[in-house]
Amino acid sequence: MSLPVSEIVRDETRPGRSFLRPGAVTRKPSRQPSQKSGMTMGASKRKSFLILLAPAVLIYAAIIIFPIIFNTGLSLTKWSGFGEPKWVGFGQYAKILTDPVFLHGLRNNFLVVGVSVFGQIPVGFVLAYIIYRRMVETERFFEVMIFLPITISPVVVAILWNQIFSTSGVFTQLVRVIRDDPRYVFSIFENKQFAIVPILFVILWMYTGLYMVIFIANLQKIDPEVLESAKMDGASEWQILFRIIIPLMVNIIFTTSVFAITGSLKSFDLIFVFTGGGPAHYTEVVSIYMYLNTFRYYNYGLGAAVSMIIIVLSVGLIYMALGVYRYFASRYE
Amino acid sequence: MRKILLIGVALTAAVLMSVVVMGCQKKAESAAGGGQAGDKITLTMLEYQNVTDESEVAVWNTLLTEFKKENPNIELQIDPLFDEAYHNKLQAMAVADQLPDIMFLWPGKRTGAVTGSGKIKDLRPWLKGHESEFAQTAVAAQGPNGEIYELPEQVTATHVMFTNDKLLNELGLTYPKTLDELINQGQVIRDAGYIPIAMDNGGGWQMQSCFLSALAERTAGRDWIEKALTGEAKFTDPEFVDALKVIDTLAKNKMFSPGINQADYGQALTDFVTEKAVYFIDGGWRVTNLVTELSDDQKSYISLNVFPAVPNTKGQEESTSMVAGTGYGMNSKLEGARADAAWKWIWFYSGPVGSKIRQAEGALPAYNLPVPEDSDPMEKKLTSFIANTPAGYVIDAKFSQESMGVLQPALQEMTLGSLTPQQVGANFEKWIAENEPTRQ
Repeated sequence: MSLPVSEIVRDETRPGRSFLRPGAVTRKPSRQPSQKSGMTMGASKRKSFLILLAPAVLIYAAIIIFPIIFNTGLSLTKWSGFGEPKWVGFGQYAKILTDPVFLHGLRNNFLVVGVSVFGQIPVGFVLAYIIYRRMVETERFFEVMIFLPITISPVVVAILWNQIFSTSGVFTQLVRVIRDDPRYVFSIFENKQFAIVPILFVILWMYTGLYMVIFIANLQKIDPEVLESAKMDGASEWQILFRIIIPLMVNIIFTTSVFAITGSLKSFDLIFVFTGGGPAHYTEVVSIYMYLNTFRYYNYGLGAAVSMIIIVLSVGLIYMALGVYRYFASRYE
Repeated sequence: MRKILLIGVALTAAVLMSVVVMGCQKKAESAAGGGQAGDKITLTMLEYQNVTDESEVAVWNTLLTEFKKENPNIELQIDPLFDEAYHNKLQAMAVADQLPDIMFLWPGKRTGAVTGSGKIKDLRPWLKGHESEFAQTAVAAQGPNGEIYELPEQVTATHVMFTNDKLLNELGLTYPKTLDELINQGQVIRDAGYIPIAMDNGGGWQMQSCFLSALAERTAGRDWIEKALTGEAKFTDPEFVDALKVIDTLAKNKMFSPGINQADYGQALTDFVTEKAVYFIDGGWRVTNLVTELSDDQKSYISLNVFPAVPNTKGQEESTSMVAGTGYGMNSKLEGARADAAWKWIWFYSGPVGSKIRQAEGALPAYNLPVPEDSDPMEKKLTSFIANTPAGYVIDAKFSQESMGVLQPALQEMTLGSLTPQQVGANFEKWIAENEPTRQ
């Protein structure tokens, strides 16, 4: 391939190596740019950058930065949507953090995060590994079956599972017949501590396939020769897994953890349709608490404060995951 | 590959172009239509409707056809929404000061933020002289100065104890006169494999609206509720706790449907219609479903009653709870011919013509109409029930939506055995004292 309009640039930081700067303007090597023309070029570039970036920055500011600033301000007020917002400082935060309903929702959220990070990711990885290493026959079949739930809308999934466990659902009716007890109901939903468990199970069932596919895609990037040579050197399956594959997967595990944490903290649709957060707030999560206060009770200030708490928690947990990632990354390096 | 890509791009572009062109054409057509019919008035309407409910849509279409026949110069641009989606949009539009010309409203606290914002017109100037044509409850004040923001389509009894008299007879029982008698029937009914009282409380509002409100009228009464609004009476008072105790006693004696707090709304109706339950507590609006769900034979032995007498009655005996129904209101910005056109719809819907159409489909209109001879037996029973039953307030029509977010889950916890009636009363009183606007 000829390079008529590109310039071979010497990378001065790495002697002996060069790289292409595509699209760079061809210059005659003999002509050195003057200080003045260099400044003109810089100013022109800055202008180009500004023109090119401005629309994107404006849109980003309008739909991301402005709402965040507005939301932060709103969280310090009491406002029902009408009239002037009343300044209450951190009053909304104090109210939220002492509200047992919020604290129970937060506890449920941490359980969702837990089942996502320590359930979906490990199980997804194990399934991906089994399929990648062809430890089962008809691995394509399993791959499709495990991935299938993620292709269904969470609302549909929630309705389906609700139909199974509801007081008139398949599971309940079946047990009533088997036990000859017409008053039997799946009473775990009536237990404050454990009502969230069936939902955790459904979340695990639904999203594990997504992580499995991500892991399979990344496992397939590993050079098979590396594994073959490891085998020839006498490495066992465990050694291949822990000494070669997991170290290569650390960054992917971190990325999936970020997905799992952020996705879990804003989890809403599935739980809202499944139980609506009830009975008696037993299965409520923070996002449902925010929704009810904002859109049913019109406490915009309180809703804004809850969303700020969700952001802070998300960032905090992601930084924790980053810390863990760095520890393992440095260890494997 | 490149060819396929090019064909794909061309097809997508063609589809997009045709959508844009069609859209432009439609816009041009509607603009031309508006221009041609000189005095044609177009009104926007936010409509509360479950478009998946075939019977509801059928009644709606009949109403619209009739209205268009009567008012060919009024065009309604309808935006139908249902449940939370409706309320969210209405609230957002009110906040943005972009309310439609006509909207569906509640008489109480459900749309209280919107009706109380000053953005809804008081309908009294138009209604003047017609008040006596409506049931008294229907034209009660909706605003602090007696304003009427929406013209109620019906009067709703939120508590009815539907009874399967045939099952009662088969079990050798009669309709109980007291709470104790009812509880004593429980074992007999359960042993026969039936549910004593079918009720679903998954949403939480059913226990409050369809039962506690009627019980509070018995043990406390209207005056007490008025006092509780201002703080003269407290929810820790025996008057209110006694009402809670009735529910607690029934729950402890396994009188309700199993898993009552998990059951979606509609489950109890199914159990009652399929004759798995002897009693069924719900609102009078369930008659519309019973008209279509029950066989002619069943309609002969299903009766409408109120809950039996409870201990410590201080309010009205044998009473239910009643509230003026929903209806249409108009944007306060409407003036002159546009306001008159909006009123035409409001009056059409809740007045004699619309009420007659709705009555023929099983509704009990707030507008006084004679019950047609050929009306369904269940409708006749409901009309008689409403006419002969004294009524108290519905709690959620007097107190804020947010306070119901405290009371209703507490009722669920009480029926699950986690809270006592005294604790429910205390929790509710604490919240009301700190937050309810009428107490501030």
